[in-house]
Amino acid sequence: MTRHYEGKFALVTGSRRGVGRLIAEHLLIHGARVAGFARGESTIDHPDYAHFQVDIGDPESVLAGFSALRKITDSVQIVVNNAAVLTSQYAMIMPPEAAQAMLNTNLLGAFMVSREASKMMRKTRWGRIVNISSMAVSLEPVGDSVYAASKAGLSTLANVMAKELAPLNVTCNTLAVSAIRTDMLAQLPQEKIASVIAGLPIPRFAEPADIFNALDFFTSESSSYITAQTIYLGGVN
Amino acid sequence: MLDKNSVQEIIFQALNNINDERGPDEQIELGPETRLFGTDAALDSLSLVSVVVDVEEAVSGVSGRQISLTNDRAMSQTVSPFSDVSTLTNYILLLLSEA
Repeated sequence: MTRHYEGKFALVTGSRRGVGRLIAEHLLIHGARVAGFARGESTIDHPDYAHFQVDIGDPESVLAGFSALRKITDSVQIVVNNAAVLTSQYAMIMPPEAAQAMLNTNLLGAFMVSREASKMMRKTRWGRIVNISSMAVSLEPVGDSVYAASKAGLSTLANVMAKELAPLNVTCNTLAVSAIRTDMLAQLPQEKIASVIAGLPIPRFAEPADIFNALDFFTSESSSYITAQTIYLGGVN
Repeated sequence: MLDKNSVQEIIFQALNNINDERGPDEQIELGPETRLFGTDAALDSLSLVSVVVDVEEAVSGVSGRQISLTNDRAMSQTVSPFSDVSTLTNYILLLLSEA
């Protein structure tokens, strides 16, 4: 088992379940200290994991989370903006509050976390910010208007911040995952999922290892010249 | 309560943090009239951002109050708070004087 994250402190949002939990556990297994931001209580029991109950969709909650985080570390090297909420519905009947919640958590939340984390990264002049996006950006599925738009915004957010933070040796990239078996995916109709999978160039679900491979690439020491990029898994583009 | 000298020292410290990263020929001279923003400013845009973040953190740390130096109010001041060290000092003292 390689410990290629040894000495790194990572922050993962939405770390209680799904992709966020997988990523947090991956980072821990490979030697990182990890902080998790999520609304609920921790689901990870590891000596190098610290959990903070933060509502990513609420800027004040994010600021409070960073105040608490700074009490245990003055340095964060890796941020994975994973927290997301999904309501899939035709636009004409999408509740406005559900649309707002998606923008608040999926896009504004990632901005707030990146904003605060980059203040910490500037002191050590090293950082890796990875936004977790979705194949929905490219596939533009019916019902996912706001969700896909919020995820599309993550690439733009990363690309602009990549320019701002490049002098600080901080890279910002986006990893757009394809369908992976999570609670979020389980919300969607099975026939819709099957149809999407069948239409992928590589017609299968993503596995955790597929995500880890791209994440490790973005966060590695060797990737200092890789920034403002979006990787789609599964052949989506 | 922070007084004028204390606030000015915080700003100087933030400028010194920039100086630490600069060569001997690029040092910013510290004084009340050191220009922070504008065509003749001593700082580039990213350096100014770093100074703002450092000053916000330090003032909040010492006073126990969160302040924002870049909200709409700051941007709409007749004299920009970022004109020079003196104007920034006065703006911070104004913020701290308010309940």
